[in-house]
Amino acid sequence: MEPLELGKDILRKARALGAQEAAVVVSRSTEASLMRRAGKLEQLQQASSLGASLSLLVDDRYSVHSTSDLRPDAIDTFLGRAIAATRVLEPEPERRQPAPELCGRYTSEAVLDRFDPGWESLTGAQRREQAEQLEACIDALPTRDQVLSATVYVGDSIGETARILSNGFENVSRGTGFGHGAEMTLLEPGGRRPEGSSYFSATHLGDLPGAERVAAESWSRAAQRLNSGPAPSGRYPMLLQNTAVGRILGVLGGPLSGSELHQGRSFLAGKKGERIAAPGLSIFDDPTIPRGLGSRPFDGDCLYAKPFPVLDQGVLQNYYVNVYYGRKLGVSPTSGGRSNWVVPPGTRAVDDITRELDRCIVVTGFLGGNSNGLTGDFSFGVQGLLLERGEVVKHLSEMNVSGNIGELLMSFQEAASDVWRWSSVRTPSLLFDGVQFSGT
Amino acid sequence: MIHFDQFGVSDETIRVVLSTALARGADDADLYFEHSGSTSVALSDGKVNRASTHVDLGVGVRVVVGDQVGYAYTEDLSRDAMLAAARLAAEIATGTAAHAPLSVTPRTYADRYPVTLPWEQVELEKRVSMVRAWEKAVFARDTRIQKVEVSLADSFRHVLVARPDGRIVYDYQPMTRAFISCTAEHEGRRETASANLAQRMGLEFYTDDRVERLVRRAVDDTIILFEAGKPPAGEMTVVLGAGSSGILLHEAIGHGLEADFNRKGVSIYADRLGTSIAPKGVTVVDDGTLMHARGSINMDDEGNPAEKTVLIEDGVLRSYLHDEISARHYKVAPTGSGRRESFRQPVLPRMRSTYMESGEYDPAEIIASVEKGIYCQSFSNGQVQIGAGDFAFYVRHGWLIEGGKLTRPIKDVNLVGNGPRVLETIEMVGNDLVIDEGGWTCGKDGQSVPVSQGMPTVKVSRLSVGGAS
Repeated sequence: MEPLELGKDILRKARALGAQEAAVVVSRSTEASLMRRAGKLEQLQQASSLGASLSLLVDDRYSVHSTSDLRPDAIDTFLGRAIAATRVLEPEPERRQPAPELCGRYTSEAVLDRFDPGWESLTGAQRREQAEQLEACIDALPTRDQVLSATVYVGDSIGETARILSNGFENVSRGTGFGHGAEMTLLEPGGRRPEGSSYFSATHLGDLPGAERVAAESWSRAAQRLNSGPAPSGRYPMLLQNTAVGRILGVLGGPLSGSELHQGRSFLAGKKGERIAAPGLSIFDDPTIPRGLGSRPFDGDCLYAKPFPVLDQGVLQNYYVNVYYGRKLGVSPTSGGRSNWVVPPGTRAVDDITRELDRCIVVTGFLGGNSNGLTGDFSFGVQGLLLERGEVVKHLSEMNVSGNIGELLMSFQEAASDVWRWSSVRTPSLLFDGVQFSGT
Repeated sequence: MIHFDQFGVSDETIRVVLSTALARGADDADLYFEHSGSTSVALSDGKVNRASTHVDLGVGVRVVVGDQVGYAYTEDLSRDAMLAAARLAAEIATGTAAHAPLSVTPRTYADRYPVTLPWEQVELEKRVSMVRAWEKAVFARDTRIQKVEVSLADSFRHVLVARPDGRIVYDYQPMTRAFISCTAEHEGRRETASANLAQRMGLEFYTDDRVERLVRRAVDDTIILFEAGKPPAGEMTVVLGAGSSGILLHEAIGHGLEADFNRKGVSIYADRLGTSIAPKGVTVVDDGTLMHARGSINMDDEGNPAEKTVLIEDGVLRSYLHDEISARHYKVAPTGSGRRESFRQPVLPRMRSTYMESGEYDPAEIIASVEKGIYCQSFSNGQVQIGAGDFAFYVRHGWLIEGGKLTRPIKDVNLVGNGPRVLETIEMVGNDLVIDEGGWTCGKDGQSVPVSQGMPTVKVSRLSVGGAS
């Protein structure tokens, strides 16, 4: 049965069994992934998958369910149990579905362009060849003899998702995903084996960068970790590399969300319209970017997915509030979760920025760490480079960066011009001043 | 036969699917049938307002040639779908057919998680009333508590592994998990913390004592934060409290001793077997056999019995954690460490319950020996770089140690170190091993598996603390 038909069938059965409202999602996907190491195929994974999830409202009581056991008898039993389970809860009318007129596609699939028709003609032999090419590029590196082990990855998937709501909303969308990358381990004389990797994702195969770039980037990331150690503790300017920005801005994810605002666990509560970052720093939520990895026509509640500013020139413009928390908080919903985050670039290259600084730390990656959404405090292990007037003077490891995200955002200085596009966080490298690092 | 009842597959089907998997030649293969389910109820805003149920059913087919793996799965347990998956998995092989089993023989292992009151027989109303009672107990403990969220979840997994030698092994893996989060307000400030418990048990897990402990931890760990500050930044002596600080072992040693990283030469512990990597008196084990532990398994996901594996014995590295592939590589017996998140993923060597055996020191003596440092009490997460050996773990709260005494509480700080160097700097091991009952989950290559960890009070002379200057 096709996902849409299956979804409609589940919705009809749920309603017949007493559900006042139901929302059904049926997803079908096919994926393949390959891994090569030491001149041979090390792993080959292929599968097709089908599963259904649904949310129910029974006498204003709410529950969520999922199953991959889609045999007709099993679905009946599953739904019967799901509805019985829902009846024992306490009612919460805020869970009702949004009015039908609020739901729909804001951007057409033709504009979003999330499906690569080339996927259908992709063969196993081509995937193997793609992996072989990546490995060949690594073998061709002039520094290959310093590489202890190199693994390359190639993967792709196609997904078809049907969504059916009892308020009348219905949609089927398809998307493809492609990725490739490499991971390298080097060997230091003392036995330490620093590793580095690079991985690129795109909705279209042709958008992936070439094998040479994958090889070169994974080498340079591993080489940056050779003979590394901590620098003295202190405050430094921090140049957050574009690929690392998502982790720090991600600290805002919880505090921006309706659930955390409602639970009183957000340091951003009551700050809408206030300055929370230095002027010059903006973050836009844009679900409409063609081929964007976070692009979508509607959000999790099936509300029209429109672009909106999160942070505009340092001023907090919007929270992430879904329909349920919108009702609880007494505000209009924006969206339950992030689509693409776009941070506008500046005009100067990273090298031009760092060259003007007597000393700065370039953060290239993180190790562990966490944050407290109620206070904004964070503490992360970091890897990176210590630069003086743009020259690398030390490879850094075994260090932490700590502080308060509110204070960090206020210390923002400049965005570089190097936007990273292989992620749903499309951001350039960002410079902050006076950031607390702990090392020796 | 259990495999027929649970999955609707016959001996004959298993033999045919295995032969298809082996049709292009292989050193090993397995079929991994799984039927899992979970139920949870959750309370927020004073209402038990959310329930969820999940069901998963499918089979994974794995074909192994040397260290090469072909993998496929299907949620459709029809013979045709399973044969199609077996043919996809077999694409890794290019040889002639290997032997398929002529007959299958069920095998059973010791049961480390017998359940007295199975969740399948517990009415949902009972769960609802438990969650309500816990919320009430939280509010009763401290008037500063403003918001409470509570959830109670239980899950089961029926697993059946069929192997080319005809062995068929079945396991039933129960689990329960309780979670409480509190937000408190005091003099215009707010703080939040949470506590959780998880074990492979039925309803009998929730004794009054245990629930009282859970409530106490959730509340007290929140309230203490009003007094907590940031510790100083930089390298200092660290005392790890007994119990969940086993997270240090998990990150600093455990992952690096998973044998897949070592047979590929990418772990910092590759080539270190038989050598001294920690001071005498330090013994670290990874144990799948603890009764009811979250990390325990009767068998691993390749159908091998779980065991207690001594990793470091009195300071000397004795063993890696092996699945079948690495065991063949090192010519040793598998340690029952081959695990997978579900039938959708191939097996990897993984930890189960990782802990350090007790030493000789009184915990009070350990704290008294530290002039200046920090004491770590509760943790949230950690990470490691296998090759460099650098690791990190995040301390939700702990204490400053000044003049041999716990003086002021501290909070929200990341600690980093290098595994082998930190092992060398273990100075004192307490006599108070505690296996933590928390709901720990370990991630590797995108796969999550439940684990446990434990530790006696331990003093490490140097770790880098991400505090404020």
